[in-house]
Amino acid sequence: MMENAWLIPLFPLLSFLILLLIGKRLREASAYVGILLTLASLVFSILVLFERFTEPTYITKFDWLTIGDLHLTAGFEVNQLNALMLFIVSLVSFLVHTYSKGYMHGDERFPVFYAYLGLFTFAMLGLVISPNLLQTYIFWELVGVGSFLLIGFYFYKEEAKAAAKKAFIMTRIGDVGLFIGMILIFWQTKSFEYSEIFRAVEAGAVSQTMITLTAILIFIGAVGKSGQFPLHTWLPDAMEGPTPVSALIHAATMVAAGVYLVAALFPLFQASQTALLTVATIGAFTAIFAASIGLVQTDIKRVLAYSTVSQLGYMMLALGSAGYVAGVFHLMTHAFFKALLFLAAGSVIHAVHTQNIEEMGGLWKKLKFTGPLFLIGTLAISGVPGLSGFFSKDEILVAAWEGGHPVLFLLALIAAFFTAFYMFRLFFLVFTGEARGEQKHVHESPSLMTLPMLVLGVLAIIGGYVNTPWFGSFLGDWLVDGNEALGHGHIEGPAWIMIAATVVSLLGIYLAWLIYGKRSVARDWLSGAGGTLHTILLNKYYVDEFYQLIVVNFVKGFSYFLRFIDVFLVEGIVKGVAGFVQGLGITGSKMQNGQVQTYGAVAFIGLAVLAVIFALTGGYLK
Amino acid sequence: MSSVPASAFLALALILFCIGLYGALTKRNTVIVLISIELMLNAVNINLVTFSKYGMAPSITGQVFALFAMAVAAAEAAVGLAILMSLYRNKKTVNIDEMDQMKH
Amino acid sequence: MNLSWVLTTLVFSPLLGIVVLAFMPKTQEKAIKFVGFLATLPALALALAAYAHYLAGKKLSDFTIGHEWIQFRGMSGDAPIFSVYYELGLSGFQLLLVVLTAVVATLAAIAARYVKKEWKGYFMLFLLLEVGMLGVFTAENLILFFIFFEITLIPTFFLIGKWGYFEKEKAAYSFLIYNGLGSAVLLIVIMILFAKTGTTNIDLLTKIMADPSAPLSGDLKLGLLISLLIAFGVKLPIFPLHSWMLKVHVQAPPSVVMIHSGILLKIGAYGLIRFGMGIFPAQFETLATLIAILGVINLLYGAFLAFIQSDFKMVLAYSSISHMGIVLIGLAAMNEAGIQGAIFQVVSHGLISALLFFLVGVLYERTDTSLIENLGGIAKGMPIAAGFLLAGAMASLGLPGMSGFVSEFMAFLGLFKELPWLAAVGTIGIIMTAAYLLRAVLGMTFGKAHREFIGFVDLKGVEFVPVVVLTALIVLIGVYPSVLSSPLQATLETIMLGLGG
Repeated sequence: MMENAWLIPLFPLLSFLILLLIGKRLREASAYVGILLTLASLVFSILVLFERFTEPTYITKFDWLTIGDLHLTAGFEVNQLNALMLFIVSLVSFLVHTYSKGYMHGDERFPVFYAYLGLFTFAMLGLVISPNLLQTYIFWELVGVGSFLLIGFYFYKEEAKAAAKKAFIMTRIGDVGLFIGMILIFWQTKSFEYSEIFRAVEAGAVSQTMITLTAILIFIGAVGKSGQFPLHTWLPDAMEGPTPVSALIHAATMVAAGVYLVAALFPLFQASQTALLTVATIGAFTAIFAASIGLVQTDIKRVLAYSTVSQLGYMMLALGSAGYVAGVFHLMTHAFFKALLFLAAGSVIHAVHTQNIEEMGGLWKKLKFTGPLFLIGTLAISGVPGLSGFFSKDEILVAAWEGGHPVLFLLALIAAFFTAFYMFRLFFLVFTGEARGEQKHVHESPSLMTLPMLVLGVLAIIGGYVNTPWFGSFLGDWLVDGNEALGHGHIEGPAWIMIAATVVSLLGIYLAWLIYGKRSVARDWLSGAGGTLHTILLNKYYVDEFYQLIVVNFVKGFSYFLRFIDVFLVEGIVKGVAGFVQGLGITGSKMQNGQVQTYGAVAFIGLAVLAVIFALTGGYLK
Repeated sequence: MSSVPASAFLALALILFCIGLYGALTKRNTVIVLISIELMLNAVNINLVTFSKYGMAPSITGQVFALFAMAVAAAEAAVGLAILMSLYRNKKTVNIDEMDQMKH
Repeated sequence: MNLSWVLTTLVFSPLLGIVVLAFMPKTQEKAIKFVGFLATLPALALALAAYAHYLAGKKLSDFTIGHEWIQFRGMSGDAPIFSVYYELGLSGFQLLLVVLTAVVATLAAIAARYVKKEWKGYFMLFLLLEVGMLGVFTAENLILFFIFFEITLIPTFFLIGKWGYFEKEKAAYSFLIYNGLGSAVLLIVIMILFAKTGTTNIDLLTKIMADPSAPLSGDLKLGLLISLLIAFGVKLPIFPLHSWMLKVHVQAPPSVVMIHSGILLKIGAYGLIRFGMGIFPAQFETLATLIAILGVINLLYGAFLAFIQSDFKMVLAYSSISHMGIVLIGLAAMNEAGIQGAIFQVVSHGLISALLFFLVGVLYERTDTSLIENLGGIAKGMPIAAGFLLAGAMASLGLPGMSGFVSEFMAFLGLFKELPWLAAVGTIGIIMTAAYLLRAVLGMTFGKAHREFIGFVDLKGVEFVPVVVLTALIVLIGVYPSVLSSPLQATLETIMLGLGG
């Protein structure tokens, strides 16, 4: 089965091509093309995953491009991480395809939406089976385009246009880091193949500085894609896209690609302590930074977006603390519960036609399925014991502690508190209390939409049990099997960490309940007490404004400066030369005035000059 | 024969030529310009005669050439004056500044 | 089988069209356009046949033709002192350019359907231009090359000056003056080489120059190379010799810009690679850093200026400058990856800019404007055109899976090996390219429609041909770059041999 894994990305590509060509005629039947083909991918992925449990890594490649003696290859590789990613991506993609049939119903560009989904899924699946950096980079960019197209799906909205542009350019800044890092490592190791790179690094063929440099450059790529600070601002804006897209791309799959990249190149990062520390620090900082912004946002999707940024920070922290398993594990559980949350949020938006949580409220009774499912997601992400998020978050905290980063550990713990608080703030504001806005015709979504949520809900509950401190660390052992360099399948940590994490998340939930559920604490005590802080949070630390002020204006200013050079200096020189020639011509033509005497004078002067030259040089110009 | 050196003749020719050139290039009156040209021709004649006497290989050829030059100068003066007359009839002026037909 | 007739026929086949057109009444618009289109087909067919010949594993040297042509004899004796031969030939690199030329010329002939007046004159000049271009890429002799080079100049001058937009005369003159000066410099170089070595055959010259006992001093060679850099730098164009090209891009009619941006600019790159690098490899190496710096300047200068243009044609014009910077970067790397990247970029940019300018023509035909701010939101009325425009922009900004990426990647791969810091500065260009292209293209297609574009017709009928063909080729090269890289290997080996690598 594994030798046919290359088929998995091709199904969605086929869907893309079919819908591009005849989507218009199929109308809403396009959905079936997409759903069926992603289902095929899913089935293949599951088969591959199961086969990978028992069989070794499968890798195959062929020459893609020849440059002199260099042969760049393309191919595919099914190792543990790739098999797991294949499953996650094709599963979420399939569910989102199904869900969108209900959500996008009635949209006039329905087939286009499914075509884009197909393109994205193709690229994402291609990304996770790439055996070398170059191929990874190729699909890395393609998922960026898929994301770009889907963010800008409502192209007639100015916000969507701006968000799409921003997403593309900001991730491209990161991609250039990856691009440079990839090329540098290539000239060090003469190969883009992961295995070759690791071998060279292990053999000490690459200098320590070079390893650190390339690892950090590659990490910049991951920062861009995974919305880590300071390149995070595109991700919340990306919520302009349709909600299923947010669930697929900006929660479960593409944004996790950065984490995947660091995981896939983990031996390279491990070879440099500096690089690991950078990853961990950026991750922890992003986790708390984004979580604090999430505390005060009022757009349901934006809260979830900042939560995504924060959770991705967690994963980076885990990887940076040498917790390979913890990072990948959280990537998986996060994909389940965050996709669930987004789909549930989509269902809410579908029902009330607003994204502002201040206008919602009291939806628990009206949305009989969505409400409980949203609660499951909320509990999972908050780290309530027994659900998937609890186990993976615990792993990360242990990894951070054992990795010897007490400060980062503390940051992560605070971020966990924030997470529990803002998620339950969201939950209470949306589902409990009285309806605050106008809510006409609120109805539960069709079963096409609730069923995918149900699947994810189940996974969000049980997904964590593949790797627990109690029932064994099956996932972890499997992931590092045959590759001890990745670390242990399970890191033993002190029991108090688990207790602390539980207490912190319960505290967060309790506080949220006090303020937004029971309302025994006034809602504005925080914003009243720390007014400035609240404003800063509401404005997302003014990062966007800062970029606008510094970067955008600098680029514009520099461009205008160059235009000045272009118009005045370059054109000026040209004009100068032209003017000189013209002047020469005018002077010459002035002599042609018809006066014989002038002609005579000119002839005589010419003769005199020649005579002088002759006298001085003897007839030859040297 | 005589103690006057060749350089004196040449200097005379040079002065004569320069006067002629100056006149030909600056004078307004066309008649004077024609006369100046005659001066230049005569300067050349002096040179020819001088070299026929004091040159590297003195011979009669130089003097013969001078005679030729005189004949040509006479013819040229005649033609020149004729053109000048016809110009004068057309333009009622002998001012050389107004004679710029060559420009058109 | 003797195939030496192929190249001559290939190069001069458009003349047949000129002859036919000469006998047609000039009022029959449709017939003239059709004949003009048909006349480009024989060259296309032969070019593709030559490519097939290569694919079949046969030698490209089968096509070589050499004939006595012009001879200068001395006062005495029968042996000519100088002789110029009529020599045409194909290497892998030339083959690619010939195919590119034939394809773009055919598509540009389709794009010429927007020409509004004097179709007969237009197509006669257009076909003459094609003869020139095909000749330039097949000539094996510098004098023959120069003659074809000049043949491209004159028709272009008239095509711009007569069928262009508002400031067409100005654009035409600045085209002629710049390029005239460039070719004057080129002529001087050719004449010096001819006088010193007695031959203008390119391969022979390469051999003579490689010989240390060549009758030229190192300084003279360096001087000649710098002159070549200027001559072809005008064409490419290299900063600061670019200002003519902006005017041409904005003022020339779309089909001429397709040719101009797609093929004519590439003559500069071709010349630099074939003559600059081929004949003076050692001197090229001394100038490599300078050329790399010029390349990075071109890349960034074009990109930053494209960012603030309000006319989409200007954006594309500066974008061409920027992309030609990548060619220079690749050449300056002086290794296989770089040079191959540069050649890829030549072909790839030819296709991409032809696509984008065709679409500009399509839009201009319908909306009478190419100003970004006047166009916003056309994706609503013309989704297909907008989609292709976006695809073209993506190809241009180097999206993997399309040709732009492969070339950009290899050029940078090459330069990073030699001059990593400079290359790192150059990568800013990658970000800026994305920024200016998205700004322009999204500004035109996305957002609220500034006016009603409802009445406008989307791409239709024959307009699909250029768009689909070009997009398909771009994707083909992006996905399967071996279509370009395998014919190039022999050429690359020759160049690397010259470089002593």
